[in-house]
Amino acid sequence: MTVRLIAAMLAALGAAAPAHAELYYLIVAGLGGEPTYEEQFAKDAAALADVARRTTASSRVMLLQGEGATREAVVTSLESLRTRAKPADSLVVMLVGHGSYDGEAYKLNLPGPDIDGDELAKLLAAVPARSQLVVNATSASGAILEKWAAEGRTLITATRSGFERNATRFAQHFAAALAEGSADINKNGSITAQEAFDYASRSVADSFEKDGALATEHPQIAGGAPTRFIVARLASAGPAEPAVSSPAVAALVSERDKIDAQIEDLRARRESMSNDAYLAELQRLLVQLAEVQGKIDAAQPRAPQ
Amino acid sequence: MTWRACFGAVAALAGATAAQALTIEYSLDRPEALVACDRQSYRGARAEAAACYRSLLAQSTDNRIKADAARAVGDVRGANAFFQTAINEHPDDPALRTRWGELFFATHQNNEAIKLFQEALKLDPKYAPAKIGLAKVAAGRFEDKTVEWAKQVIDESPDQALEAHLILARAALEDGSLEAADDALDEALELAEEQERSPLEIYALKASLDLLRGTTASRWTDRALQLNPGYGNAYAIPAHFYVITRRYREAIELLQKAVQIEPDLYDAHAELGINLLRENKLDEARPHLELAYRGDPFSAPLVNTLRLIDSFDNFVVTQHPPKPADPGSGAAPNPGVILRLHKDEAKVLEPYVLELVNNTIDTYTKRYGFTLEQPVIVELYPDHDDFAVRIAGLPGIGLLGVTFGYVVAMDSPTGRADASFHWGTTLWHEMAHVFTLEATNHLVPRWFSEGVSVYEEWSTGPLPGRHIPVTVLAAIKEDKFLPVAELDRGFIRPTYEAQVIVSYMQAGLICEYIAGRFGQKALERMLGEFRNGKGTAEAIQSALGISPSEFDEHFAGYVEQQLGAVLEQLEPWQQKQAELHEAVEKEDWRAAVPKAAEAIALFPDYVDEGSPYIAKARAHRELGETSLATSTLLEYRSRGGHDPDALMALARSLRDAQRADEALDVFEDVLMVAPLRAEVHREYGDLLVAANRPRDALVEYRALLAMDPQDLAEAHYRLAKTYVAVDDKAKGREHLLYALEIAPHYREAQQLLLEVVR
Repeated sequence: MTVRLIAAMLAALGAAAPAHAELYYLIVAGLGGEPTYEEQFAKDAAALADVARRTTASSRVMLLQGEGATREAVVTSLESLRTRAKPADSLVVMLVGHGSYDGEAYKLNLPGPDIDGDELAKLLAAVPARSQLVVNATSASGAILEKWAAEGRTLITATRSGFERNATRFAQHFAAALAEGSADINKNGSITAQEAFDYASRSVADSFEKDGALATEHPQIAGGAPTRFIVARLASAGPAEPAVSSPAVAALVSERDKIDAQIEDLRARRESMSNDAYLAELQRLLVQLAEVQGKIDAAQPRAPQ
Repeated sequence: MTWRACFGAVAALAGATAAQALTIEYSLDRPEALVACDRQSYRGARAEAAACYRSLLAQSTDNRIKADAARAVGDVRGANAFFQTAINEHPDDPALRTRWGELFFATHQNNEAIKLFQEALKLDPKYAPAKIGLAKVAAGRFEDKTVEWAKQVIDESPDQALEAHLILARAALEDGSLEAADDALDEALELAEEQERSPLEIYALKASLDLLRGTTASRWTDRALQLNPGYGNAYAIPAHFYVITRRYREAIELLQKAVQIEPDLYDAHAELGINLLRENKLDEARPHLELAYRGDPFSAPLVNTLRLIDSFDNFVVTQHPPKPADPGSGAAPNPGVILRLHKDEAKVLEPYVLELVNNTIDTYTKRYGFTLEQPVIVELYPDHDDFAVRIAGLPGIGLLGVTFGYVVAMDSPTGRADASFHWGTTLWHEMAHVFTLEATNHLVPRWFSEGVSVYEEWSTGPLPGRHIPVTVLAAIKEDKFLPVAELDRGFIRPTYEAQVIVSYMQAGLICEYIAGRFGQKALERMLGEFRNGKGTAEAIQSALGISPSEFDEHFAGYVEQQLGAVLEQLEPWQQKQAELHEAVEKEDWRAAVPKAAEAIALFPDYVDEGSPYIAKARAHRELGETSLATSTLLEYRSRGGHDPDALMALARSLRDAQRADEALDVFEDVLMVAPLRAEVHREYGDLLVAANRPRDALVEYRALLAMDPQDLAEAHYRLAKTYVAVDDKAKGREHLLYALEIAPHYREAQQLLLEVVR
């Protein structure tokens, strides 16, 4: 619960990106190889694209799938971001499909020639956006965990190594995480990379358990600031909280932030308190927080949902 | 077996040095030097016997004799070493290989034992002691080969058949064929007198025979104790027959006497410990099991049972007090219930298990006119292996649940990979055993106890309808039902693969027939006859007023009347099923619908795996025919279909069609098969709230929370809202605080908190 709460607090505090920072998405659904996988990958990619378009302008969402998801198209898309994206921007890359690993090199299976991990790493490094989230949901994706690590980049993989080679379930659960309110642990209408990862990795484990099967994939997350990286907004949440519009509201927001910090401090002291005393103090702070939040909402109502 | 081949097994024996319980030797080729020591042992002169064997160990020049002498003084490791050496010296001696095999058998390494017995038979195809060895291994596994091997010895080597007669006697006693057992024991006794072999074991088996005939103070026990006052098996052998007839309390009394007069009779300590566990006497059981382990560290059931006791730390025990009869509500008296549930699932399962147990107590008390005298203990094991350990030692037992009297143990819903494991039906079945066992002081024959349980599953259990697997229908078609007076044999010593399940179903149909033809009270009268010590034949005659053969004839007519049509259509149905599955495979939904309908018409009660109802509902759904999909699943459910995914789909479609009452019933059914799915509790709870049943919804939301769902804040919020709805603001406040502790900016929770505290 500690991790979850901290994640919630940080997301609440740090959700707002710099004013003109943009968020770009590149979603690639690789080669299925057989109709079932083709269909599943297309479905996952479409679900991810829906979320992306809800979260940022459609013009900043690139979706490559089916015959269009070639190596050339991937290269072209990432190269275009090299010029379009600025350092203050954020980039989300999601790779769905089959990956392979021969003990040395990772490859993403695409129609026509595959693209290898080193080339993808170079293309990603060339995109100026300092904040990046790369979700590699393919089989054997764990192979890239070390090679693709970079400052400011969060890596999420479906498998823990290149040797987990079975077709993965992670993409569909990750797509569900971005679409469902259940993954929004702190109920702020946004899903962070950490929240989505937590939800999807548990769903994957549950799905194997439900099938009575041994899990053949173990999702991983590494690097960057996943608790602050907002990867999706929920359809039910409407747009993000607008920027502070007046000194009065600014004061309220500042007061809210202080209460948030006090709650966090209280939680850290929980072990040293009796349960009754803890809950009494928690209630006092939460009531204050609710009242302040009510005033903020009244002063600048959120868009109708 | 070469010494190299058995290296692993030898390694397993290494380090073992244990006192040896008295073993009676019957081989005619046993060296005279050993026989002389054996005689001292048989008369209870243990110190003298030990000295005699030690003297052989020190002085004999024959490693074969040394091996047996070492084993007799409990030096398993030494015995094994002597056997290895002796095999090199006498590679063609079948007796030596057989003796070595017996050492492995005594240390529970049956595969090694079998190899050695078979090697002996290669050297001498008619070597009787090796065949006896194979018979004993088969007997430990309750295999039919036991009797085959023993009969071969009697035919081929009648003079060496003493032990073969004992094996046949044991098998006959286990089958309840008492006359046959008596004859076999008389044969054995005659040979023992002729050959001057110890009659101790024969006397103990004669005492077992008396016990099964209702004489508890047998003169044969006295005779055995006169020969050897320290012969614990005089009590332990009869105790075995109490155990297999589920009379654990009586078995415990005998086993306590056994270990009192022979404190190092480790088998008896093990049996005593296991049976004390069956009576839920954990503290008393443990020392006996630990002692047994020290004496017999090779016993896997023993080690597993000790591990199981250790694992009880992971279980939560809750006690629910007795309740007297309530004339107002008509509720029967309830003796109290104790639940032992794994800590990871106790909070989720407890309310459902308790409610179902209470329902069964009320139902069965009224239907069978018997009031339970002690609290019922119900244990659910999420790890199937733990459950398997709990039931170890019972022959032909089913694998879902077991009842030891007032103790019921079964798999929890997580204990089985099979998603459609209906824990509710299993518990309903087991609870019927509590009544049939206790109402008869455990004298009920196995078939009748199972029959009542199966019949109650079909007639009053949580799943509607009669459920007979296709394999059983095929067996009925092949005329494989047994005469009622012999039906126990189908459970205890099955002769074909499906016979145990066939016997369950036959027993269920018999009880259904009795209740329908002679009235429900006739079942109660049968229990009365069994309580008075009557066997099946007498009980049928007295309680129903017809002979067993007349009964069989009438019952066959009933089966024909009830199942004749289905039996007739079995093959066309299987053909139709194949066609249906082909259509489903091709996703040809237009073709699937009529094929499914035809399969359903041929065998409408088939709701198990591959049920045509499921295929038909899916086809309708794929074709956009939602209401037809719903009606198909309703029909499926009405016949006892319980696939959790199908039921969830049905519950949701009913809910979406505003048929809330029906949806609520279906959700309740889902809990009987998939109580550990969070979405069931969430959606059922939501529907209960919508139906203005917030108190019932609380049960579901508490279960949801106990499952540590992904969205914990929301689970707390749901619970808080419902507590507030039933005016429990304190609880509502508490859960709101927990929700907001996780998600401080959770707007709905913030609003409700303000309402609650203002």
